[in-house]
Amino acid sequence: MLAIYKHLLRLYPATHRRHFGEEMLAVFQELQADSTRIGASRQLRFYLRESGGLVIGALAEHWRQFLKRRLSVRNEFRFPKMTWVLMTIILAGVVMAIAKGEAISVSVPPMSPALPPIHPAHGLLSNWGLSFLIMYVIGVTIGGVVFFVRRSVGINASGEKF
Amino acid sequence: MEKLPLTEPVLLILLSLAAEPRHGYSILKDVDQMSGGRVVLSTGTLYGALRRLLEEGWIERLEQKDASRGKQAYRLTARGRGNLHSEVGRLKQLVRLGSLRIATREY
Repeated sequence: MLAIYKHLLRLYPATHRRHFGEEMLAVFQELQADSTRIGASRQLRFYLRESGGLVIGALAEHWRQFLKRRLSVRNEFRFPKMTWVLMTIILAGVVMAIAKGEAISVSVPPMSPALPPIHPAHGLLSNWGLSFLIMYVIGVTIGGVVFFVRRSVGINASGEKF
Repeated sequence: MEKLPLTEPVLLILLSLAAEPRHGYSILKDVDQMSGGRVVLSTGTLYGALRRLLEEGWIERLEQKDASRGKQAYRLTARGRGNLHSEVGRLKQLVRLGSLRIATREY
């Protein structure tokens, strides 16, 4: 039965085994020594209770660690409080600038006739520049998605599970 | 996370540690004795509860230089004792109320 107990103990996550494995085994050995003094039916009940307790305990530990890992991944993607403050200040600045710009455009009459449309050759971005920008955005998006998925399933940068 | 009201096994484990520090085997035997054989914990259940109580800071491992890994003793912290006190107070109130209601019904 000790061999079965050791096998069942392997169902637990490594961290739990490291902290409590030896203790659990030692306590089980003491209980097993006691069980030799009781009847066969009570001994059977003892073995069933221990086996069931280990399986249920291992499942509970895995579930707990899964929840803990999910929570820590979610926390990594959460912005710090300062970011929200800075973003609010920046947004307020942009809104105020737009409002100010509109007020100026209304108060000052147009001084020069309307300009003709800008030729593509003189635009802010050339065709090559625009293509590069699009490719860059797509690349960053794909990279971000891959990173998020790897973190979600618990794989770190070196490909090891943690 | 342990929340009040406590489950009976957790309450019995805490009561077992309230008197003195104990190691796993001693806790199991004490719980069995306290409940009159009604609550018999497996090692899996015991160490799951101990792990949660350690994490919550309700109990702590007693540092013993000469103790082997299989003979780690645990003791109640001030926080654990406070929570146990609250739970026992709650149960006392419940028993008092129950007794009063039953008595009212009978007479």
